[in-house]
Amino acid sequence: MTDVRLSGVRKRFGRVEVIPSLDLEIEDGEFVVLVGPSGCGKSTLLRMIAGLEEIDAGELSIAGRRVNDLSPKERNIAMVFQSYALYPHMTVRDNMAFSLRLAKAEKAVVDEQIGRASGILGLAPLLDRLPRQLSGGQRQRVAMGRAIVRDPAVFLFDEPLSNLDAKLRVQMRAEIRGLHDRLKATTIYVTHDQVEAMTMADKIVVMREGRIEQVGRPMDLYARPANLFVATFLGSPEMNLLPARPAGSGFDLGADGRVAAPGAAAAAAQDLTLGVRPHQIALRPPEGADVTAAIVLVERTGAETVLTCELPSARRICVVAPGMADGRAGDRVGLAFDPAGLHCFDTKTGQALAA
Amino acid sequence: MRSRLSLPARLARGLFLAVMLAWSVGPILFIVMSSFKRQVDIFVYPPKLVFTPTIDNYLKLTTQWKGFFDAMGNSLIVALGATVLAGVVSFLGGYAYSRYRSRLTSWTAVYMIAVRVLPPIVVTLPLFPVVDRLGLGDTHILLVLLYATFWVSLNTMIMKNFFDQIPYELDEAAYVDGASEWQLVHRILARLTLQGMAAGSIFVFVFAWNEYLFAMIFTTNRAKTAPLILSELMGAVDGTEWGVLFAGVTLQLVPVVLLVTLARRYLIAGLAAGAVKG
Repeated sequence: MTDVRLSGVRKRFGRVEVIPSLDLEIEDGEFVVLVGPSGCGKSTLLRMIAGLEEIDAGELSIAGRRVNDLSPKERNIAMVFQSYALYPHMTVRDNMAFSLRLAKAEKAVVDEQIGRASGILGLAPLLDRLPRQLSGGQRQRVAMGRAIVRDPAVFLFDEPLSNLDAKLRVQMRAEIRGLHDRLKATTIYVTHDQVEAMTMADKIVVMREGRIEQVGRPMDLYARPANLFVATFLGSPEMNLLPARPAGSGFDLGADGRVAAPGAAAAAAQDLTLGVRPHQIALRPPEGADVTAAIVLVERTGAETVLTCELPSARRICVVAPGMADGRAGDRVGLAFDPAGLHCFDTKTGQALAA
Repeated sequence: MRSRLSLPARLARGLFLAVMLAWSVGPILFIVMSSFKRQVDIFVYPPKLVFTPTIDNYLKLTTQWKGFFDAMGNSLIVALGATVLAGVVSFLGGYAYSRYRSRLTSWTAVYMIAVRVLPPIVVTLPLFPVVDRLGLGDTHILLVLLYATFWVSLNTMIMKNFFDQIPYELDEAAYVDGASEWQLVHRILARLTLQGMAAGSIFVFVFAWNEYLFAMIFTTNRAKTAPLILSELMGAVDGTEWGVLFAGVTLQLVPVVLLVTLARRYLIAGLAAGAVKG
């Protein structure tokens, strides 16, 4: 059982408190993604787990053993770095063998492990090349191979795909996830890309300013964000937010009209922020619609059409319509909000309100 | 990416190169050729470019100036010693300056460079009583220490540059792989800073091999280096035997020319504090 537990973990750099006090439990075999904007402390947290940063207070345990004061090599972890950090003067084989040789593994064991790892990652034809003779994707694979050969208890990934082009990133995303499904080792993966988080994770940890905003399965976070930050951070294009006020069985948007929400339990009669994802707004003819808007910008990707519209209050709202929707800049359209897709947040605290 | 030059431009470039070549290689050629000439032929005007070579000068050097070869031996010991010492110290120093940043290290870095720009004689003379007291006068060790010290400051900074170009993530990857700091340094970083080491070593070796001032002040007999004998050759009481002198100078030149030619790639990289790219 190689679970990873952090309790009351703190980190400061000089006077700056990067991580105030953080608790997190990662189960054995779980693929956990730490996600957040840059500077949110996710990389620092990962490096603390790796043993590359000291832990100022609190406790970190891996597989039930307190590891705060152990060096990286004593923690039985492997890490894949953003820049891959391959040893430039060593061949692919030697890069992968390095840790085993340091551990004085027998040659037969080294060869077997390299054979296994290169088989999994398709590196066999590249074993005698130097890193500079490899493409970005191949280097990425070697970095993973270097991690695999050691059979670590925990895999750590620090933004491993950010140096790859978009197409390769999608491919490697699937490969890393596939690798995890095969090896079933506990994995902690840091990224600022919410798409990576959504597509790869068993469990997402959304961080901001050193604190955990929400932890949960990707679709739970997407469907039930705990606060405005998570609501807007996950999902692309991001969730629309509108000031609103409960009114009967629905919400009053002021100058922008009203939204009917028959099933919604009437929240306390207070000002709130109504959130709705672009995919959960449908286009209607403007006549008789509760909310109308003017199209400002139309972007077609083929599979869907992204429309930026302006409401009467001059607030902008994003709508994603499936396929090639009609509409040109300047057209007036009616908007229908899916009642099941409405999220209510306390405007002051940003916390989600039971809807 | 070479642009095609017009004819006059090419001529001008050729001429410029010819002048530079004559300027830099001319004197060396004169010395080497003269070392194979008879005494009477050396300074005739116009100079003879075609002549019957003789090795008399070299024979005379071996018979009458045996001390020159002992001195070359001393030069070799001192130059190699200084190269190794400066190499080790500046490698470790460069590592420390690059990886352990603090106010202390940045302050000492300035100090090291400052000492380097003082005139050597200013640094040297106060050493005289110290050396005397320690009984290090006229020893190889003293010259090794002096020459190495003289270059450690600059070479440490050169090495720091090389280390700086190795991303710190590589250190971290090695630590995660289970390397100790020493294993990191000698199995990863040493290999990646070889160019810097080579360049730095050449600087020290050539300097120590050619150095005159310190050697003259601090050696009298046992540790005397070759440049001192060459100067004696020039000031011999029975008149300078130019042919013999040039033979000595030619021999003195050989290791330097060989070294610089063989390692010019590293030398240029060292001067540019070259890149170590993955």
